[in-house]
Amino acid sequence: MDRSRLFGLFLVSLALAGAQALTPAHYLSLSDVARLQNLLSQQFTDLDSAYYSVVGLTKLGATVPDHEGVCQFIRSQLDPTSVDSLFFAAETSQAISGCEIPVSNETRDILLAAVSEDSTMTQIHRAVSALSSLGLPLVSQEVVGALTGRINKEDNVMAITSALLTAARLSQQAELGGILEEIEDLTARLDDLGGIYLQFEEGLEATALFVTAAYSLSDHVDMEPHMKEDQVIQLVNSIFSKKSWDSLAEAFSVASAAAALSNNRFHVPVIVSASGPATVSHSQPTLQLLVTDVMSQPLALANVLVESAYAVASKSIILSQAPFTLNDGVFELNFMSSQPASGYYQFTIAVTGDTRLVANHVELKVKVSTEVAVTNMDLSVVDKDQSIGTKTVRVDYPSKGKSSFTADSHQNFAMSFQLVDVNTGVELTPHQTFVRLQNQKTGQEVVFVAEPDSKNLYKFELDTAERKSEFDSMSGTYSLHLIVGDATLENPILWNVADVVLKFVDEEAPVAIQPKTLYVPKPEIQHLFREPEKKPPTVVSNTFTALILSPLLLLLILWFKLGANISNFSFSPSTVLFHVGHAAILGLMYVYWTHLNMFQTLKYLAIIGGVTFLAGNRMLAQKAVKRIEKK
Amino acid sequence: MSNSVISVISRFLEEYTTTTTNKLKVVDAYLLYILLTGALQFLYCLLVGTFPFNSFLSGFISCVGAFILAVCLRIQINPQNKGDFLSTSPERAFADFLFAHTVLHLVVMNFIG
Repeated sequence: MDRSRLFGLFLVSLALAGAQALTPAHYLSLSDVARLQNLLSQQFTDLDSAYYSVVGLTKLGATVPDHEGVCQFIRSQLDPTSVDSLFFAAETSQAISGCEIPVSNETRDILLAAVSEDSTMTQIHRAVSALSSLGLPLVSQEVVGALTGRINKEDNVMAITSALLTAARLSQQAELGGILEEIEDLTARLDDLGGIYLQFEEGLEATALFVTAAYSLSDHVDMEPHMKEDQVIQLVNSIFSKKSWDSLAEAFSVASAAAALSNNRFHVPVIVSASGPATVSHSQPTLQLLVTDVMSQPLALANVLVESAYAVASKSIILSQAPFTLNDGVFELNFMSSQPASGYYQFTIAVTGDTRLVANHVELKVKVSTEVAVTNMDLSVVDKDQSIGTKTVRVDYPSKGKSSFTADSHQNFAMSFQLVDVNTGVELTPHQTFVRLQNQKTGQEVVFVAEPDSKNLYKFELDTAERKSEFDSMSGTYSLHLIVGDATLENPILWNVADVVLKFVDEEAPVAIQPKTLYVPKPEIQHLFREPEKKPPTVVSNTFTALILSPLLLLLILWFKLGANISNFSFSPSTVLFHVGHAAILGLMYVYWTHLNMFQTLKYLAIIGGVTFLAGNRMLAQKAVKRIEKK
Repeated sequence: MSNSVISVISRFLEEYTTTTTNKLKVVDAYLLYILLTGALQFLYCLLVGTFPFNSFLSGFISCVGAFILAVCLRIQINPQNKGDFLSTSPERAFADFLFAHTVLHLVVMNFIG
């Protein structure tokens, strides 16, 4: 019993996980692909731009113009002594047809010499690729050794990506397992941003080249890369979120990644989007979907079906397991044939047909709109005490009530109507049903909401006595408009139903309505600067300064009376130095007050103080000796 | 009552002039000077107001600090207290006094504004 419950729980959680699986938020739309192609088609001036442009365009599946011209350009720019130059030339010549790069023994030797543990990873990659593209022989096992040795010394992201790309050019018999494991290690080094993006901190180019390299190597050895589906989608989001690229190298990396993700043996992310707004109505009954890969190329073998569709409001299921039909590259479903009521529907769409598809369960919100009609519009004036019978007038849309209705403080004005769906006759409750009364003389508007009762019959009652504050007690003729609107309505209604004459008691003189004066210049603020504090008159300050100095006089007199003298002053150097130093410190204090800042003062104090301290120490020691001798 | 206060004061003064050494009297005169200076500063503040409050504070703190340091010096050089200050010679006390005064003056000058 417990086992089956656990299993059931496991299935439910799996289903939930599947339902909440990530779908791509970014991809290359057709205009993005065109922009990328444009960037890659710019005139190139040197060999590496030629490489990025030509190979990039080839990866996007675009045609490279003027193969002859490109070939001649490559041959003229080629420097047969440089590994980089050979790499760019060789790869570019492979991408265009009928272009041969002349190869000499020296070229081969230079390239083979670059394949060692002491060259940088970039050099190894370029040398191996050039050798491979030029059809020169190379020993795969040696390359693997060089790569493994190099990975230990250079383990940044770009280096390992180059190692992966290099390994993809080697023979399948070579021991590529160690290098294959690097894919998993690099995947662990990706930064997860908010669960939506997965990228290297080195940036877009590194992430895109990693994706290219990982799939290139995985396809080569025919082993699925250890990347979870969610991680693949997060990588898609990171790589294709940037829509304008700073450099050719960046554009090239994005193009390579797009090609790798649309055409590898293991993971092909699916992009499902509605062609136009996801809305159906009676005039447009089919829901059209575009199902493409990340480069907006339609998927060759795909079956699209609606797993379930339920109404958001009522949660009732409308469709289950309904297939889409492929019509001229677009998948269509006639949703109106299921006769859905107007509103929003949540579709769960599954794309099948290829085991490589990733993110092939998509949630889509579809709106069904309709047209509304107002029926049974009845206007009446009801007496409050119900003594006189009501007089009900029916008005048909879009005409206006012929006579105007009068209501004074003893009467209520009442209105009732129904809103029905034109196509199905079902009663509707749109979001906006307002009754607007506008004073024809002053332009004042008062808006009320009409509420439906339990049977979806809309009622509006105006009690003139109760509502007179909204109207500012202004009697007169008011034109009555009915406003009906909703997101799912294709024909919002603004209907002048009738004119109503309202009579209020305690009428004030009609005042023209002042629009709120929000946007006129406001009165200027005079800034009050801080008043300087009141200072005492100079006489007082001077008096007190003199007063403060008087105790000093007293001190000198007292000392004189006591017989304090400097007769013991010995003119030894340390004494003189000490007194000079001490006077200098006091002088420094004064200078500090007037000119210096704390740092300068501390600097000077350190110097003078040091000298004074040493001299003073000496002097006091001498005094101590003298004192002890006297004893 | 006032009689006894006057007699106490006169007795105290007599004892003071006879028993205290000259050295201590010199320091006491200095203490009196500092006290008067501080009191006059405070009087000014009471009468005229605290306008440059930082200046008043620094001046007053300078007086208070100097008074305290001088009292410390007096305690340490008083030969009657020798038992409490076996490791501190009068010269050492004076050196401490000077050093502490340097620091005090640095702070006061910083604050005087």
